[in-house]
Amino acid sequence: MLNIFLQQLINALTYGSLIGFIALGYSLVYGILKLINFAHGHIVTFAIFITMSMLTQFLALHTLGFILALSLALIITIGVTIVLEIVAYRPLRRSNRLSLIVSALGAGMVIENAVMLIWGPNPRVFPDINFFQGTINLNGVVVSELNLFILFLNIVVMSILYLFINKSRTGIAIKALSLDYQTAQLMGVNINKIIVLVFVLGAILGSAGGILIGLTYKTISFNMGFEYGLKAFIAAIIGGIGSIPGAMLGGLIIGILQTLSAGYISSIWANVITYSLLILLLIVRPRGLLGQKDIEKV
Amino acid sequence: MQVNKSIFIISLIICSIGFPFLANNIWLSIITTFLIYSALSLSQDLILGKAGIYAMGHAMFFGIGAYTFAILINTYNVNLFIAFMASGIISYCIGLIIIYPIKHLRGDYFLVVSLGLNIIFINIINNDPFGLTGGPNGIFAINFPSVGGLDLTGAKAIYFIALIFLSVMILLFYRLNYSKFGRAIYYLNHDHIAAKSVGIKPSLNKLLSFSLGTMLAGFTGAIYTLQYGAVSPEAFGIEQSILLFAVVIVGGQGSLIGVVAGSFVMFVLPEIFRSYAEYRLLVFGAAMVILMVIRPNGLFPSKFGFFQKRHLQQK
Amino acid sequence: MKRILLLPLFILMCKLVVAQTYIIGVQAPITGSFASEGQGINNAIQLLVAQTNAAGGINGDTFKVVTCDDQGNPQNAVICAKTLVDAGAKVVIGSYSSTATEASQAIYAKAGVIQTSDATANNLIVHAYPTYFRNSFNDNIEGNFTADYFVNIKKYKRIVILGDFSAFSTGLSASVINNIKALKGNIVYTGKITSGDNDFRAILTKIKALNPDVIYYSGYFIEGALLRSQEVSLGIKADFVGGNSNDNPQFLKIAGSKAKGSYLIGLPLPQQLDSQQAQQFVADYAKKYNSPIPSIWTITNADGLLTVFAAMKAIKTNDPILVAKYIHGSIRNMPCLTGYMTINNQGEREGNIYQVSQIQSNLKYKVVYH
Repeated sequence: MLNIFLQQLINALTYGSLIGFIALGYSLVYGILKLINFAHGHIVTFAIFITMSMLTQFLALHTLGFILALSLALIITIGVTIVLEIVAYRPLRRSNRLSLIVSALGAGMVIENAVMLIWGPNPRVFPDINFFQGTINLNGVVVSELNLFILFLNIVVMSILYLFINKSRTGIAIKALSLDYQTAQLMGVNINKIIVLVFVLGAILGSAGGILIGLTYKTISFNMGFEYGLKAFIAAIIGGIGSIPGAMLGGLIIGILQTLSAGYISSIWANVITYSLLILLLIVRPRGLLGQKDIEKV
Repeated sequence: MQVNKSIFIISLIICSIGFPFLANNIWLSIITTFLIYSALSLSQDLILGKAGIYAMGHAMFFGIGAYTFAILINTYNVNLFIAFMASGIISYCIGLIIIYPIKHLRGDYFLVVSLGLNIIFINIINNDPFGLTGGPNGIFAINFPSVGGLDLTGAKAIYFIALIFLSVMILLFYRLNYSKFGRAIYYLNHDHIAAKSVGIKPSLNKLLSFSLGTMLAGFTGAIYTLQYGAVSPEAFGIEQSILLFAVVIVGGQGSLIGVVAGSFVMFVLPEIFRSYAEYRLLVFGAAMVILMVIRPNGLFPSKFGFFQKRHLQQK
Repeated sequence: MKRILLLPLFILMCKLVVAQTYIIGVQAPITGSFASEGQGINNAIQLLVAQTNAAGGINGDTFKVVTCDDQGNPQNAVICAKTLVDAGAKVVIGSYSSTATEASQAIYAKAGVIQTSDATANNLIVHAYPTYFRNSFNDNIEGNFTADYFVNIKKYKRIVILGDFSAFSTGLSASVINNIKALKGNIVYTGKITSGDNDFRAILTKIKALNPDVIYYSGYFIEGALLRSQEVSLGIKADFVGGNSNDNPQFLKIAGSKAKGSYLIGLPLPQQLDSQQAQQFVADYAKKYNSPIPSIWTITNADGLLTVFAAMKAIKTNDPILVAKYIHGSIRNMPCLTGYMTINNQGEREGNIYQVSQIQSNLKYKVVYH
């Protein structure tokens, strides 16, 4: 019984971490621009597909090829993100928040359909890599090496991000910007630079999550970004949007709720149970778990 | 000016009455779809554009109306008129029940809760509760009884039903701008605190505008069921909700012409360009971005509420 | 305004010009998760029609294919059915999935359009539409075969049945369950997964605790492959058996080396068909489209059209009502690509060509029971 529970917990944490990686992108951008970046999930899809193409190009070269493919894919994804920020978001920074959301929705549609036109509408298969293929069996609880790597990466990324935001100059600038846009500008923070940086950071974290999704589940399709993006976005809100540990916490909570309700209550009603609990959580804590209470300014 | 306007309105009425006798079935069904989605977008506009509630789950209420209508007719053989009224009323009640506990949520938090509710709704109808909704297949081959010897499922009949419904809604929305309730939600949306301080009750008006919007969506859903003779979950999913949300913003919040134009762009143009289906959404997305950048307040921004300012400028 | 009014007229004129050829509709999922299947069906029908036209048509008519993409969902299926009827189609091939077929059936039947599909759900013939016939076999035949194999041949003691929410999968699961119960087999768990999801470890971990001998999945290949690979990753020792829609090259690609050892119950694969006619068709297809036939369903749909053609030739008229009447009951043991075609009065295809294949360590299918 305990074995089964532990196994479910590991299932939940690995799935939740993947959602958490994508959720970080939503949270970072929201913290500064108060923008729900609906294109983020599709950027992740783009990253997965470009990585797939690069991997099939370079995998013959093994580890070196893997690193090369990964860096090339990442550079292209970052390029797309920067273009997106300049074309679709920057001109709207001072206008109505809703127009910004719709612009993000439109940008998401463009990316999703570009992926469909480039790689075709059929589901594709993410290539195999030569490492992380084994599994570890601990007294009946099976953990794959890839799962362990996901959990490990989660801890590493969260620690680095924590240090970066709280200790580095740039990190403090990001924090200042999210607290008070205008004052930060007056204090000499280069807004354009910081905003681009935040988008890029979100894209990198999202790509990491996306590639791990590709490696874990193998099958990828042009419209997968919608589903994952939505879950991640909800995770970011639940955790308290704008909060970095909150985003990861939100991802893990979604993973746990989904896995435990499918595993112990009913696989058919798992989604209904998960979302109902999430909504209840928001009714009780309207700012999310780790979100700051904002005071109505007059 | 006034004469021009009435000539325009009269010719529009003549055209819309004459249209079904000139068009073929394909065009008739495209335009009927347009009428239905215009009505639906207007009901979303009441919530999002006029009341400023960030609701991104409107397709759910459209679905509740459509399913209520389909179930009442298919399973319980209810009279067509009663079924139609029921689809609006049930949608209204569910809207009221749903908004009550979440009325204190603001902005994006409301948005995510309404999205979540829409996901729950789709899951529930997929699970075929009590064998009512038909699961992922939905309900199809619905046999509508004829009313007084008239077959209401004919293409022309549905066109006129949709036309009448939309006309009533347009008149209603036109009058809304001059009503107490219309002004109350407008000022609550544009200056929350000032509105509160002159005694407008925010939560009451929020409840009212939301549930009215959901009721109108419910009625529209019933007409949709009548048109297709079938309902199934995908028509009421979050993709639809997101699209409806975008229609209001792209058209212009709170603007009657804007929202109708927005639904033309989002729901009719894709039908016309069906043969370029592959590039359709790509071009669409790009158009949404460009439009927002060029006209951040929508295609035809609402003029309501700016009378005072213009008057001052003229001086 | 003028232009808007002229447009319908223009479309009407176009319709008059086109109406002289006999239109064959294809309603299939050209995009979406089943795109490869839908494109296969469309390609095969285009190929057959081109061949028939090259041979001079039938009864003086030449044929033209009009395709509508239903994306495998019922809403679009209804729209497609109306579009194809409006376009003047007399015969419609499709759709691939039971859900989309079921949603469109009534519209074709009302318009007097012949419809044939590979869909296997039992309830497709409950209405006994006079214009509908099935070009594959119904779930009950497969359910019976599967139950017999599980209980009498493999002697499984603890059986798990999984499916997804589609009409096809629900129907197949129900037939398998009923037939296993009739043979007094022991089912320890039945459950459903959502197609489109890709993490099934929660439900598999739950199943692991039940210590099953076999996990049977009645849904489609993508989730089937994911279930199989996650089953192996979790160290579950049970056999994996997929129902007929797990037959797709994607299954092997997604599950990779974890696919080996799993079973597939279904019709023969395209390359396993032994008649001269079938071999010729497989070769023609590969030559024209430069890719192999995606699955057996492409070929059963081709058989559906061949049956219509054969009926037209037999009664020397192309009137859809008369052709449909002839097909229901008069087509018996007609040689076709997938063996022999026999259609009964309800439009049901009779016979049984099911087999069990096992995936070998070189990732090839090997027939182990038929």
